[in-house]
Amino acid sequence: MEKYWNQEIETMSREEMKKLQDERLVAQVKHVYENVKYYRDLMDEKGVKPEDIKSTDDLHKLPFLTKSDLRDAYPYGLLAKPLSECVRIQSTSGTTGKRVVAFYTQHDIDLWEDCCARAITAAGGTNEDVCHVSYGYGLFTGGPGLNGGSHKVGCLTLPMSSGNTERQITFMRDLGSTILCCTPSYAAYIGETLNDMGLTPDDISLKAGIFGAEPWTEEMRQSIEKSLGIKAYDIYGLTETSGPGVAFECSEQTGMHINEDNFYPEIINPDTGEVLPEGEVGELVFTSLTKEAFPLLRYRTRDLCVLSRKKCSCGRTLIKMAKPMGRSDDMLIIRGVNVFPSQIETVLIENGYSPNYLIEVDRVNNTDTLDVNVEMNPDQVSDKVSDMQQKERALAEAMKTMLGINPKVHLVAPKSITRSEGKAVRVIDKRKLHD
Amino acid sequence: MANVRQISVFVDNKPNRLAEVMKLLKDTGINLRALSLADTRDFGLVRIIANDTDKAVKTLKENSYAVTVTEILAISIPDSPGQLSRVLDILGAENVNLEYLYAFTGTSDKSVSFVIRVDDNNHAADALTRGGIIQLTENDIAEM
Repeated sequence: MEKYWNQEIETMSREEMKKLQDERLVAQVKHVYENVKYYRDLMDEKGVKPEDIKSTDDLHKLPFLTKSDLRDAYPYGLLAKPLSECVRIQSTSGTTGKRVVAFYTQHDIDLWEDCCARAITAAGGTNEDVCHVSYGYGLFTGGPGLNGGSHKVGCLTLPMSSGNTERQITFMRDLGSTILCCTPSYAAYIGETLNDMGLTPDDISLKAGIFGAEPWTEEMRQSIEKSLGIKAYDIYGLTETSGPGVAFECSEQTGMHINEDNFYPEIINPDTGEVLPEGEVGELVFTSLTKEAFPLLRYRTRDLCVLSRKKCSCGRTLIKMAKPMGRSDDMLIIRGVNVFPSQIETVLIENGYSPNYLIEVDRVNNTDTLDVNVEMNPDQVSDKVSDMQQKERALAEAMKTMLGINPKVHLVAPKSITRSEGKAVRVIDKRKLHD
Repeated sequence: MANVRQISVFVDNKPNRLAEVMKLLKDTGINLRALSLADTRDFGLVRIIANDTDKAVKTLKENSYAVTVTEILAISIPDSPGQLSRVLDILGAENVNLEYLYAFTGTSDKSVSFVIRVDDNNHAADALTRGGIIQLTENDIAEM
């Protein structure tokens, strides 16, 4: 029997949901126009007034916001409430440039945690569970978001944060953790460490995992599910919209339900900005319908994915987004070809390798080079050099079939690639050093 | 059969990696009887005959090394001109394919020992026996 955190919203009819979204959007546009000069200027420049937006059908008239707007408006330019009404700041990791800071009122925190509670409930969580949160705590939204959602559900919450993996496993065993929340790469590392400690999934009580904050593949899901003996659920979010919980996976595991009562999704053509119909691949854009302090309208996520309203076996009517094919910033353009690290990961797992790899891109004599360092499994070694080189050639060939360009594959020793306790570093693009 | 177990360890072709393997074996009290290193630009394969194969493999695996154990042939031949050539002729006449070989120090200064890796151990061992070539057992090597 499927359990819902908020059955009314999660199973609402399309008509009722649209009505709710329309009302919320009209009020939100008015709130932003009156309180955020930065966005008011963008609207005025486009000649759009709040009264032009009568429903979500008019959304396309509004200007987009991009990450560079957030940087230009840093830190207070997009704030829509006085600081005296804000209670929290969270921030992006700032790996792609200047940090982005997001502000929350208590109302915003409650909504965010409510979204995370829906995700935990969809993964089978109840007040009987022990929820082990190994996302980083601090400015990063992962830890605080799932921690808050876990409290709402009433789980016994273990605010572990990441790191000290053997101690994580000791706590799991001693305190009977049943739900693990962390990045998928850290979940894989916990599984590997469990095995290194001579333990099996039978030695822990985990039944489910809620993993997000970085792209991961279906193959990686299966590998994590096996190594920890759990069902692994995807969760999606970004600091700019609140944090994890914008969308979450249900028992069907075929995409994530978007909490569309709070976050209105659109798919656009990333080149022209034109809105695309349901089912087409494009860039995901979110409009925050309910946030007070930091309400972004038509924020371009740079994530490429597909939306679907196909009926879901879990009974939820919330629109679903497919696993993003990659963030457009993760996409590498190598010799003119688009390459996503997730494609390389898929090839590795299909060929029996671990998902521990490091991609190095460089430019030599004006030609892009792609080198993939792949950690071999301890049982994959041969005493013959020719066998090892054959393995490298076979992997390079499989990657060429997937990517359309020829990589150089280098096998490296087990555990020689640095493990991540948060978001994994998969790519080193040395071309940037030359520019 | 008199096959001898050889340990192969995968190491990245980077400074200090071989030294780390040797230190680990030293700390475990393993003595090496024979060693050869095959290297490429990216990686090396360290091939070892140890005085205690099981203990060496266990230690390496516990330290996350990629390790494999292969059965090879070990022979001892007189230290005089033409002896290795005679061995290769015997194998060649039987169409045994040689993957690699390397020499190691035997017990006597009048003989020299070789590790021979072929595609068919039984076939090669029979041919060598018929040709009068002395083969060493794992025990022979451990007691050297």
